[in-house]
Amino acid sequence: MGSKQQFEQMVRAFSADLYRYAYWLCRDRFVAEDLLQESFARAWKAWYDLREPASVKAWLITILRNEHARRFSRKQLTIVDGEPDEYEIPSVPSSADRLEMEQLVGLLPLTYREPLLLQALGGFSCGEIAGMLGTTEGAVMTRLTRARQALRSELQAAGKRKSA
Amino acid sequence: MMNCLEFHRLTLADPRRLPEEARSHANDCAGCLAFARSVDESETALERTLAVAVPEGLADRILLRQSAQRRASWKALALAASIVLAVAAGVIAISDGDSASQARLAIEHVLDEPQSLTTHYNADPKRFAEIVHDLGGNVREPIGRVRYIKRCPVEQGSGWHIVFETPQGLATLILVPDRPVTAAATANLGRWTARVEPIRGGYYALVTDSAGSNSAVNKIIKQRIDWQT
Repeated sequence: MGSKQQFEQMVRAFSADLYRYAYWLCRDRFVAEDLLQESFARAWKAWYDLREPASVKAWLITILRNEHARRFSRKQLTIVDGEPDEYEIPSVPSSADRLEMEQLVGLLPLTYREPLLLQALGGFSCGEIAGMLGTTEGAVMTRLTRARQALRSELQAAGKRKSA
Repeated sequence: MMNCLEFHRLTLADPRRLPEEARSHANDCAGCLAFARSVDESETALERTLAVAVPEGLADRILLRQSAQRRASWKALALAASIVLAVAAGVIAISDGDSASQARLAIEHVLDEPQSLTTHYNADPKRFAEIVHDLGGNVREPIGRVRYIKRCPVEQGSGWHIVFETPQGLATLILVPDRPVTAAATANLGRWTARVEPIRGGYYALVTDSAGSNSAVNKIIKQRIDWQT
């Protein structure tokens, strides 16, 4: 695609968002920076072969996800997505009585956390996230619905406990 | 026709991209309007939470590493070309390591990673002994309280970045395997001093914030670590 100068512009434009995404994947700021360094090193190697400049952010996210998976030997996600169920939400440990939002996000299973990060941090639509995660748009909607339900129910419960 | 359940589902799936039909449903349904407002509030809290602080100089460090790798690639190509030429001439020239240049790079590495001097990370003395052992050395006595151990990219590969406490203050040890240097060398940059010493198969670089402390700490390292060179 572009020149060395364009690569530098891309690093400056996206490194903050990618760092935050990496941080919320691994919850360690040192590892997050390592992941980012490796991801941009891989991106540089493939930079001149990039054919779709418009989707460069999604391309970088994919590289970062692969790097994270490679480093932590994460197995392919095997979650089975069904139809959204109003009452089916991921469980949060009962010991998490007084957790704040930060801890709650960290407690979400990765299958729910990842699409939530892609949408809230990356600004991607459900269709775009489906493409990145290799699943269907409906499945992404289900995961996002459940993730937000989990966060909201815990926050509401915490609010009630505080006011009691 | 949209119902309340469908509105809730769409709002929870992507509150920023509600279709027009959902918006007009909320205008006619007080319950759904309240629900949408409450989701907006938790979404704001979520966005605030996710926006963790980004380390200062992150983009610069990424670009610096890319630039170092590009230089290393060119050096590798140049070395390969020089070997081809030397073989063609019947002479084999092998480039020895440039110790002074490695010492300067070690100081730059420490300056590029300032958090190594202010944070504790992986600070396990056993881990330090294992790393030294992997490099063919043996820690006879602790060199000081280890407070930071991290695998870092260095020119042409990776090495270990270790920070430990000494009576002379904090000292950084960069251990680089598989990168032989033929001689010891010292470099200075500002108030920083780095001393490179060859060890079996590679080298270590000791970085301190003064020449005097560097010499004293290097003496401790030599006394307490048997590098079996």
